Order: sequence, then C-alpha cells, then structure tokens
Amino acid sequence: MERISSHQFMTLGAAVLMGTTFFPVASMVTTVGGRDSWMSVLPGLAVGIPYGLMVISLLEQYPGRNLLQISETLFGKWIGKIIGVLYISITGYFGGLLLAQAGDIYETSIMPLTPLGVFYLGGLLLVFYLVNSGIEVFARFSEVIFPLIVIALVLNVGLSIPRMEQGELMPILSEGFKPLFLGGLKVVPFAMEYILFLAGILPFLATDKQVLGQLKTGVWRAVFLVGFLDTMVVLIQILVFGPAETIRLVYGLLVLGKMVEISRTVAGVESLFLGVWLGALVIKVCAFFYTVTWGLDTVFKLKGLKWNLAVGVIFMVIAFRFKRGPSLIMEIGIVDNYLILPFASAWILTLWGASRWKKGTGDS
Amino acid sequence: MKSISQLKRGLIGILIVCLMLLPGCWGKREVEELAPLLGVGFDLGEKTGTFVITFQFARPTKGAASGAEIKDRTFGVETSSVREAIEKISKITYRTPFMGSLKVIIIGEEVAKAGGFNNMLDFAQRYSEFRRSMYLVLAKGKAQDILRLELRSELLPAMATKNIIEGGDEISSFPMVRLGHYLTILGTTSTAPILPVLESVKPGEGLEYKADGNDEAGEIRIQGAGVLRGDRLVDFLTDEETKGYMWLENDVVHRLINTVDLKDEEKENAKFGGQVLTSRTKYKVQNNNGKIELQYQINTSIAIDEVLGLKKPLSGPEWVELGKGAEKSFAKVIEKECESSLKKQRELGLDFLGIGRHIEQKNSAYWKTIKDDWEAEIKDFPISLDVQVTVHHSGMSSGSAVNPTVEGQE
Repeated sequence: MERISSHQFMTLGAAVLMGTTFFPVASMVTTVGGRDSWMSVLPGLAVGIPYGLMVISLLEQYPGRNLLQISETLFGKWIGKIIGVLYISITGYFGGLLLAQAGDIYETSIMPLTPLGVFYLGGLLLVFYLVNSGIEVFARFSEVIFPLIVIALVLNVGLSIPRMEQGELMPILSEGFKPLFLGGLKVVPFAMEYILFLAGILPFLATDKQVLGQLKTGVWRAVFLVGFLDTMVVLIQILVFGPAETIRLVYGLLVLGKMVEISRTVAGVESLFLGVWLGALVIKVCAFFYTVTWGLDTVFKLKGLKWNLAVGVIFMVIAFRFKRGPSLIMEIGIVDNYLILPFASAWILTLWGASRWKKGTGDS
Repeated sequence: MKSISQLKRGLIGILIVCLMLLPGCWGKREVEELAPLLGVGFDLGEKTGTFVITFQFARPTKGAASGAEIKDRTFGVETSSVREAIEKISKITYRTPFMGSLKVIIIGEEVAKAGGFNNMLDFAQRYSEFRRSMYLVLAKGKAQDILRLELRSELLPAMATKNIIEGGDEISSFPMVRLGHYLTILGTTSTAPILPVLESVKPGEGLEYKADGNDEAGEIRIQGAGVLRGDRLVDFLTDEETKGYMWLENDVVHRLINTVDLKDEEKENAKFGGQVLTSRTKYKVQNNNGKIELQYQINTSIAIDEVLGLKKPLSGPEWVELGKGAEKSFAKVIEKECESSLKKQRELGLDFLGIGRHIEQKNSAYWKTIKDDWEAEIKDFPISLDVQVTVHHSGMSSGSAVNPTVEGQE
C-alpha cells in the first residue's frame, strides 16, 4: 500500500479544499452576506476542522480502512453499500461538473473559440495520468503546484490593490451577524467536499501516534490557509468592485486579473494566472476521480485501468451535458448545497457518533 | 504493470498525433492580423433605438522611424447593437478587430442626454477581451466629431484623450473614471455617477494657436464633468464645480492653484500661484445639537511658485507673514470651489459627491432612517468645511523682482 507523508497530506488537503473555490466564492457569499461577506469565509470553512478531526479519530480507531469500509463495519454490509453507492454517485457527478467548469472558465475568459471538448479532454488526460500514477505522485504534484497557485493568487490580489475604491468596506456589520451566518453557510459545502476526499484517502496515511498528531495539525493548517486566501479573494473583490458588482461578476477574480497593470506597461497577465490555476482545477477533478475509484474498489471490488477509463468516460459525459455555463453554475450550487453538504455532514457525524458509542460499549 | 506501460505508450501516441494534427489554440490570431481598437464613440442614430458607433482602430505603419507610429482608421456605423456594428466593420477591415487594446469610450452629448447608453456599455463589461480599466468620458457635442479630428499633436484622438486623462494627476482638475469605477458607482443606490467632459478646442476658445486652415479644431481638452442619473446626463459641472468635487472626493494628487480671482478686501494684497504638493480630505459625521451633519476636513500642502503684485522687498518677518497670508488665500479658493460644488449638488438634488455613502459608512443606523428620502434630504443636509493649508515654501526667492527705492533715485 502506498503511503503519503503528513506534509503531503497537508498540502494535498489544502489544494483539494481550495480547488477552484477562489473563482465563485466572492459572488456566492456576497449575494447573501453583502458587504461584510468576507468575514464569513473563514468561519464557514472552519466547520471542516471538527469534521476533519472526526475523520482522523476514525482512522485512529480503524487504521488502514477508509470511511466506506468503516461504515460497513459499523452499520452493516447493506447500509454500508448504500452509503458507498451514494458516495460514488455524488462525488462522480460533482467531479464531472468540475471538469465542465474547467471548460466554462477557459471558454468564458481567454479562449472563447476553443471547443469545450479540448478543455475536458486535456484536463482529463492530466487527471488520468495522475490517477494511474498513484496517490503518491498526486501528492507530489500538489506539493509542486499548490505553492504556485498560492503565489498567483497573492500576486493577483496584491496587484489589484491600486484599483481599490474608497470606503467600499464600510460600514462594517451594519446588518448585524445574520449575513455572516448566511455567507458562512454558502462556504460550508467547500469544507464538506474536502471531507469527502479525506474519507477515501485514509488507507494511505500512517497511523502511529506522532503521525496522527501531525495529521490533525495538517487539517487545521489546511483549513486556515485556504480560509485566509479565500477571505483575501473576497475582500479584494469587494474593495475593488463594491458589493453589487462582486455579486454580478461570475468569475470576478478573472476580471481582476484583466485589470492588473504594472506601471501602465505590463498588462494581460491574467493568462499566466489562468495557466497556473489550471493546476487547481486538475487537482480538484483528480481528487473526485480518486474518490470514485476508491468507492468502486471498496463497494464493488472494481478496480484497474478499464474501470478508470469508464470513470473518465462518465466524467466526460457529465461535462458535455453542461455546455450552458449558467446551468452548470446552478447545478454545482445545487449539488454542493443539497447533496454534498447534507450527505457529508450527516454521514461523518453519524459514523463518528456510532464509533464512539461502540467504543464506549467495548464492541469494535 | 504491462497494461500501465501500454497506456503510457498509447498516451504518447495520442499526444504525437495531436501535435501533428491540431493547429494550436483555436481562434489564434497573429498580431499582424489584428486591428487594435483604441477608441469607441457613441452618438444617437437617426432611427429610433439606434446609435452611431464610431470605432477608432490603430493602423501600425510599416518601416516607421519609430516603431510606435500608428495611423488612423476610423469608421462609424449606425446600428442598435455593438456586435452588429463590429460585424459591419469586419466586412471592411481585413484585420480582426481586437478589443483588448481599447483605451477610451466617448459618450456623445445627445446620447448621454437621451439616456440608455448602458446598453451599449454592456458589451464592454461582458465580452472577455475588454478590460474594465478603460476610460469613460462624455463629449461636448458628438463623439464621432472628436474621434475624427486631426490633432496638431499628430496623435489619434483616442490616444490623446488617454494621455490627457493619465496626465490628469498633475493638475487634478477633472475626475479619472474607468469603466470599472463607473459600474461600481452605478451599483450604489445613493451616488450619482459623474464623467469628465471632453471637448474640441478651436483657436480663440480659451486657447490661441495657429489653425491648419480648415475650420476644424486641432486640439482637445478635458474640462468640467457631467452628472448622470443612472445613464442619463442631467447637467454639466463647470470647471470650478468639478475642482470642488475633486477636493471633496479626496481625488487631488497635485493641483495648480492660484488666488488671482479671489475678491480681496485689501486691494494691495499680493496674489499667489502655487502647486499642491499633497492633499488629504477626510470627513466626519457628527451630531451637532441633535442634528446630524457632515464635516469635510481638507488638509493641503502647497508650494508657492508665483507671487503677483508684490511691490517692495520683504524683511524676514514680512516674508513669514506673506506665507501665512497665502495660506488663508489658498484656503479661501479651496472653500469657494467646494462650496460651488456643494451648491450644484443641492440644486440638482443628485448626490454626485457620494455624501449618502459617507453617512452610511460613518453612521449606518442614521442612514437607514433617511436613505429612502435621500434625494429630498440632499437639498438641505448640513455640511461644513474645514480647510487647512500649509505653505511649505515660496520658491527659490524670498521676494519678487522689484526695483528698490535707493538713495538718490527719488
């Protein structure tokens, strides 16, 4: 069995948690949270910390097994299988939607005439290579790409500072805390996507006591790092565009990238940013490809090249079904809010509760 | 293992085939095939619902002495949508119009007064090639007339406009409005957008120069601004009112300022010209005996570089007093400009100074009680000014060049 280090777990987790959340997050949270929405991002993502710690505690209790296997142990074979089928369906469908989003982002912003299939196929080829190379290669890929993603984000945010409008952040908390709560709710599904990935990766993690401590640290470090970066992304968009425009812009960060100018000489650097962020898309799609393959292996004992190819075809079919950008964005929101959020939050909580109860009764 | 190596070989094969067969990026265009768009003008069309859209493209010249030399290629089309206009233009130009280079959008006076030009701007904020950093200006008269001018500077009008706007920080006498800023202001409920006004200048219209023989203007300038309700022009601001706006909006970077027009009680007093070195405008919303009011606090540093009407050499103490007198005079000028801007805002009942937003920022609870009637409130909302000027120095000389009265001369 392959193993990844605790550092790789942290960077891979952060990369999966971040994924392409920095594209829609500002518009999503500002729609419900208004001017103060930037304050809701970190608390919303922080919901992932207790859930992440629950997953690590399950790993501690059931070393070498993923949460689907643990579910079968705790809830029985058939309930475990049903959970597994739900897990495969939800993550598979969401992975296909993310692949479609790669096409939407690039077609909308910099390559309007390139056929969508080229983005899907190009992205999927990279994903396929990473899946077939194993989790260790995927983790190393993330270790190399994630810092570049962060640098591109920081540069985009930093170079947008001269475009800030006066006083757009004020007044603070004029509508009280309710908008923050609503904004936070919009972000929680991002954390649950991360938790679904953690659910499958457990067998690739070491379980000695020192490493378990490092894994727990890795969870909250990943959440805080991504929370801070996404907060900065929302903050700069509100400061530059104001809340009304932030809501209206589909991919506000790309619009910011287009506005970057250095000494009125260097412009058009958004393509460089988008090149780096392709890595973020690939990591996120790859993570969900992995969850499907782990699910198929656990529930139906299906693994190997032909099943990976089948998953790839399904991803492509889903992506091609969503050529209409607005429908795609709506669908991602629906899957996030009405499938991933309730499924992951209820499953992990119930599983953890059941494991504690069984541990208490001494029946494990 | 065998299947993985077969997969790798298969993938490499696919990549080689792709490299040979695919042309690279779809829609790839070489830079020589592009017609860079520099300026767009919108005027009212003759038919209802149509606009005359003028496109100013750059035509780079081959073999020019300087690589940056470009010639004019300007077209006007009457259509009801920008895409339709580009289609018509594309039938004429052999190059592909490239929108990413657009520097300035000029809104003609008639179309601004009629309203509805946001429909024309929609393409610029939606199509991915455009950048929100392009500038927006209002034209005095028709936008197409300005874009078709042959300027004495030999610059294309769109480039000349861009250069004037970007040099605007040196004089801070008109606002610099980018498309992004306009859209942000449009998104606020209380603030009225404002755009700088571009006009052609013929000899004798406040400027003398040798005309080229035809009746057309050879120069353009930006002076004053237009106040909008949504996307409809309501009124123009004078130069003085616009300068007041610049102070109150904390938009003054450097200003050239003089006290020549100041009506002074003592006619013997000297007049000053100077340059603003730094300026900062803050505001506070305060409760004055139960009445909420807004106070602007303008702090400005000025260097005197011109003194008029000084008839005798100054002693040291007189030199110090001269500087203090200049500070008061400059403060009066700034107050006068601000007052004229505030007066205009009250007359129009439109909050182009963003006072509503200032109140919202500082006292959101109070703002919620007045925001629904804000346009009515603007007319008598109490506003006060506190202008502080510090003269840093009076240039390289302590006194003016005067002929001192010496012994025997009388």
